Amino acid sequence: MTAIALRVNQLLDRRSLPVAQLLLRVITAAFAAILVIGALTTEGFLSVDNVKAILGSTAFVGIIAVGITVIMLSGNLFSLSLGTTTAVCAMLFLFALQAGIVVAIVATVALGAVLGAAQGLLIGSIGANAIIVTIGAGALQEGGAVWASGGSAVFPPKNAPGMSFLADTILGVPFAVYVLVVLAVAGEYLMRRTRFGREIYLMGENKRAARAAALPIVALTAGAFAVAGACAAIAGVLIGAFNQNASLLVSGTFTYDAIAAALVGGSVVTGGRGSIARTVAGAVVIATISDLLLLRGYSTGVQILVKGAVVLVVVVLLHINQREGER
Amino acid sequence: MSSVALKDPRRTRELARTSAPFLILALMLVAFYVLPQLSGREATVFNVFNSMQNFAALGLVALALGLTMIAGEFDLSVVGMYGLGSMLAVMTGKDSALLGLGIALLAGLFVGLVQGTIIAKLRINSMPVTLGGYLLLLGLTATIGHDDSQSYPNLSVGSSLDSVVAQIFSLRSLVAVGVFVVVTLAMRYTRLGRDIRAIGGDRRASRTAGVPVDRMLIGVFALSSVLSALAGALIAYSLATATPDPGLAPLIFAITAVLLGGVTLAGGQGAALAIAAGAITLSLLQELFSILGTPTYVSSLITGGLLVLVTIIAAPDLKQWWRTVRTRRGGPTASAASVGSSPAATVTGER
Repeated sequence: MTAIALRVNQLLDRRSLPVAQLLLRVITAAFAAILVIGALTTEGFLSVDNVKAILGSTAFVGIIAVGITVIMLSGNLFSLSLGTTTAVCAMLFLFALQAGIVVAIVATVALGAVLGAAQGLLIGSIGANAIIVTIGAGALQEGGAVWASGGSAVFPPKNAPGMSFLADTILGVPFAVYVLVVLAVAGEYLMRRTRFGREIYLMGENKRAARAAALPIVALTAGAFAVAGACAAIAGVLIGAFNQNASLLVSGTFTYDAIAAALVGGSVVTGGRGSIARTVAGAVVIATISDLLLLRGYSTGVQILVKGAVVLVVVVLLHINQREGER
Repeated sequence: MSSVALKDPRRTRELARTSAPFLILALMLVAFYVLPQLSGREATVFNVFNSMQNFAALGLVALALGLTMIAGEFDLSVVGMYGLGSMLAVMTGKDSALLGLGIALLAGLFVGLVQGTIIAKLRINSMPVTLGGYLLLLGLTATIGHDDSQSYPNLSVGSSLDSVVAQIFSLRSLVAVGVFVVVTLAMRYTRLGRDIRAIGGDRRASRTAGVPVDRMLIGVFALSSVLSALAGALIAYSLATATPDPGLAPLIFAITAVLLGGVTLAGGQGAALAIAAGAITLSLLQELFSILGTPTYVSSLITGGLLVLVTIIAAPDLKQWWRTVRTRRGGPTASAASVGSSPAATVTGER
């Protein structure tokens, strides 16, 4: 019976697939056309300054997105609290500056990694759902941050020691962009050339096979979330230095922007497929869209709306393409 | 597997699982009565009324999410539809509240049908789809509301919705209670309940057994969005205002309530009545916070902690993990236990 049902389903799929695919290609093409036409007709879009602005706004989202890509590749969907982690880390960084810049950076990245690893441990060891654990962890981080800060914004100590370089521009490009490039290269190396990275890919591709091969599932999951937390912390350091103050408001739309960047870059939420390099490209696309909408005077609401539509279309497209590839 | 020896403990466990939500609710009621007295305060009938007001809004969102979870899916967009429902009701209902409510419900129906169709027909993981849906709805809400809170001029609608009925209810909370009653009856006395649980438990088998899986899935997502829109529209009239971004708090409430109600993430189990118990428990807890004057960050910590806690308890591999830990301590046969673990770890995949 099951075999017959399967066969029928396959037939149904085969018939309905090309139509869906055609439709989605048309949508993608239309979207690309809108983007290109928008770019050509928007005043000030094709200027050097604007390209720099796009790169600048890519950097923060991109750095968080590098981390979220590792989570996605590991087969654990995505985290819904990385924006909060970024904000909490920015607050800690500015507070810890009184102990010196090196201590502050190390402490902040350590906090991010620990926050991530704790969630990863839970998710990896007992199979708790990643989305729900990270939502709960986000509420916990918010509560903890308000408790520790008394609910007010954190400012750096007077005469903060040598943090200005973090917010500088070098050769006209913000420092954060260089950090993103370094992180992306390091991340690609980690994921492609090290045992940790390859095992993450395998675990994301086929968790049961990974279990059967006695891969350390718990450690790998904790590791993936720790990397993501550390990336969020690095973004927190840069944002704290850039804004010269930090509160929970920092989190903004970072969580969703980072997820959108990874998805647009072609990472598959169910794991195993995608790469950090493609995520960075996705972050550039998201930043470009935001910039274009901003230049044309669209509200925040429209920007979120468009990002949501992009996520939806890309998720569906990727899914269909992947199924075609399996045939 | 169905040997007689196994049957009894299994039945006991099943009974424990289904009665746990109501036991927790009973405990909560005791705490609700006792805890304020310890700090020289008192829980009044009005506090119970307030809890039911909270239940009226967020209980419906919990039911919306819970139904998709019983069907083995996860609708992240409920909080987006909740926000859009309230914004649409406020913006389009200025002349007639019923018209605003109708538009909100229709929008919910449309959104649910689209999301459900994508998820059912393409056999695609519902989490990323509804995440995209959530963002889209959030953006739409903010766009319609001009990126700002919008107030509703006709205050009499809210006051008639919120006027006290039978001491602890209002028209609004009676609507929520009514919805829960209808869904409970429909799930108990028609095929619907069995079919929803079937597609959550073993989708492939239910397809083979002739359950109209795709239609059921689309229906569940449509119902989920309509219920969320209803909750949003009613709360907007009650508060006479709609915000451009409701935040994640309603979603946190909904997930916690559903898990407290004994619905598992793997799907296939759960009942509307138990979800109601979970939602009332949480509503009482939140009212308890306000009676005790708990600082916001403490209630945020407790709410987040509670969500993580129920997630741990509901985790599919918890027992497996515990067995592995124990065996590892005991001897070298440990690794065998960790192989062949439950496939339920990938929550919303096609089974």
